[in-house]
Amino acid sequence: MKNMITLKEKFSQLKKQNKKAFIAYIPFGFPTIKFTKGIILTLQKAGVDIIELGIPFSDPIADGPIIQEATSIALSRGANTTKLFALLRSLKKDIKIPIVFMTYYNPVFKFGVDKFFNNMNKAGASGILTVDLPIDESKEYLKSARKSNIKTIFFVTPVTPKLRAKAITKASGGFIYYISVTGTTGMRNISYASIAKHLKEIKKMSKLPVCIGFGIHSRKQVKEVSRISDGAIIGSAIVKFIKENHAKRNFLNKLEKYVKALKSKDRN
Amino acid sequence: MLIPDKKGYFGDFGGKFMPETLFSCLDELGHFYAKIKNNKKFKEEFTFYLKEYAGRPTLLYFAKNLSKNLRMKIYLKREDLLHTGAHKINNSLGQALLAHHMGKKRIIAETGAGQHGVSAATVARLFNFQCDVYMGEEDIRRQRMNVFRMKTLGARVIPVKSGSKTLKDACNEAMRDWVTNVRNTYYLIGSTFGSHPYPMIVRDFQSVIGKEAKRQILNKEKRLPDYLIACVGGGSNAMGLFYPFYKDKRTKMIGVEAGGINRNLNSASLNFGKPGVLHGAKTYILQDKFGQVKATHSVAAGLDYPGVGPEHSFYKESGRAKYVTINDKEAVEGFKMLSELEGIIPALESAHAIAYLKKLAKKAKGSLTVVCLSGRGDKDLEIVQECIDKTLNSKS
Repeated sequence: MKNMITLKEKFSQLKKQNKKAFIAYIPFGFPTIKFTKGIILTLQKAGVDIIELGIPFSDPIADGPIIQEATSIALSRGANTTKLFALLRSLKKDIKIPIVFMTYYNPVFKFGVDKFFNNMNKAGASGILTVDLPIDESKEYLKSARKSNIKTIFFVTPVTPKLRAKAITKASGGFIYYISVTGTTGMRNISYASIAKHLKEIKKMSKLPVCIGFGIHSRKQVKEVSRISDGAIIGSAIVKFIKENHAKRNFLNKLEKYVKALKSKDRN
Repeated sequence: MLIPDKKGYFGDFGGKFMPETLFSCLDELGHFYAKIKNNKKFKEEFTFYLKEYAGRPTLLYFAKNLSKNLRMKIYLKREDLLHTGAHKINNSLGQALLAHHMGKKRIIAETGAGQHGVSAATVARLFNFQCDVYMGEEDIRRQRMNVFRMKTLGARVIPVKSGSKTLKDACNEAMRDWVTNVRNTYYLIGSTFGSHPYPMIVRDFQSVIGKEAKRQILNKEKRLPDYLIACVGGGSNAMGLFYPFYKDKRTKMIGVEAGGINRNLNSASLNFGKPGVLHGAKTYILQDKFGQVKATHSVAAGLDYPGVGPEHSFYKESGRAKYVTINDKEAVEGFKMLSELEGIIPALESAHAIAYLKKLAKKAKGSLTVVCLSGRGDKDLEIVQECIDKTLNSKS
């Protein structure tokens, strides 16, 4: 039986099919841990290519109100890293798409960086993005991640200078996360023209896929972003949908439809 | 030894743990500061404002009655006499000058007790910046007077409703603003915390406290003090006093953290916390075993913070300074003691340092001690009255 595929396999698969990645962010444990299990499997069923699983943190300085609220609810209901690893281990047989973690550094640091990556590996997770860990602070982290075969995804932003972007691409594995705007996570307008220009420069520096996140919340944006990059990352919009619909009947069916619609190339 | 090192580390602590978006701007600030800090004109300008606007040098006052009462020789470094009523103005003037020379038009700040907010709003008028101050709702409630002051000074006070609604959450929100408006906004951090280069910059600007105190005590006593005492929240008044004495090994340093209500509810990161990463730096923080930052409490809003400046973590690890706690009740007693003995009403933050003198007196009779009286207590009168009423009610 085939387990989860790697990020590399995923992106080469997509390339062959002439498709772009659709990456969905959800906070672990929102609205409850039990929900997370159903949501992961539903996202996979809806054709999501990669799931970004957020580790709730008490002080999410890079997140806007929607994710702040969701992660704080998750924490208040007992979400923690130990339970996250346990859930993923229990789902190992069922998850076929790559899982990456999105986290702040303190939960990783406190867990023990080596031990954290080791646990990720055992749980079948593929990669990690740590919002407040820039490459400058990542020496030990990179070493540990490599040992456990975890891909380290770093961010490039609209205000990242060229030289620094180069260093970031070097430290990156799996894909590069391009932040569409200066700001926190949340739904807003983004300017494609300037991003496209910047992406061209980054593509010259590295063969890694570059995916765009922050702000994306509509089918139209997914389409536009997919046109200029290797994939779109959607967070707050999905979190908001979960928040508004999880108490309704047939929630998972509704979520599947919602995500399929976001992904759909056809209608506008 | 050069502290911090090039990467912003004080021993194992400090660093730059910030979202990527802020990197260019931290770099810009670091380079700009390195260039300007030894510039003669800049130094003269800073000194000018400290003297003519803020009212430096502050007095080093021999507290006769307090000394007699505790059988020690106690000097108070009177930062409470500065314009705006606390040491915060030293740093705000320095950083405002930096921002001004960098050509920034807007400053943002976080505030707990409101003292830093007031000093930021003040320098914003002086140098004509637009100024937004983030303040937790809980702090807005308990420090109303400072909110009025900031508004009078034309600053926008933005209430923060997330988390514990105190200083930590105000920092989170200020950082979110900064990450969004990084192109035109200068973040005027109020204490020796945050990502490199901030802890160093704030320390440098505050070290005027210790430099003056050293000169003054040598003048008055012809020797260095046995003890330096200061309260520690983020730690800027303490580091300002300690740093110029770093190499004077015979002078002992004691930082007083807020012991709050008990061992489980306090703001004493160095006493009860563990190393972690918060708001840009590796430092001691109050956290649970999963690395989630814990709720804090102190009767002094300005100390109510789960982290501490990384340089203090380094002083603790290296043994250069000792860190103790004073709880809410003891702090209120310290507040009363100084008011009654010396006719000086201290800020509740500073009252923690004053209260510790009573404990120190038991083992250090006759010692020469300098205490940083970091701020005045006008802002805290309502809180103290509430505490006294509560005690009276519980007794009757």
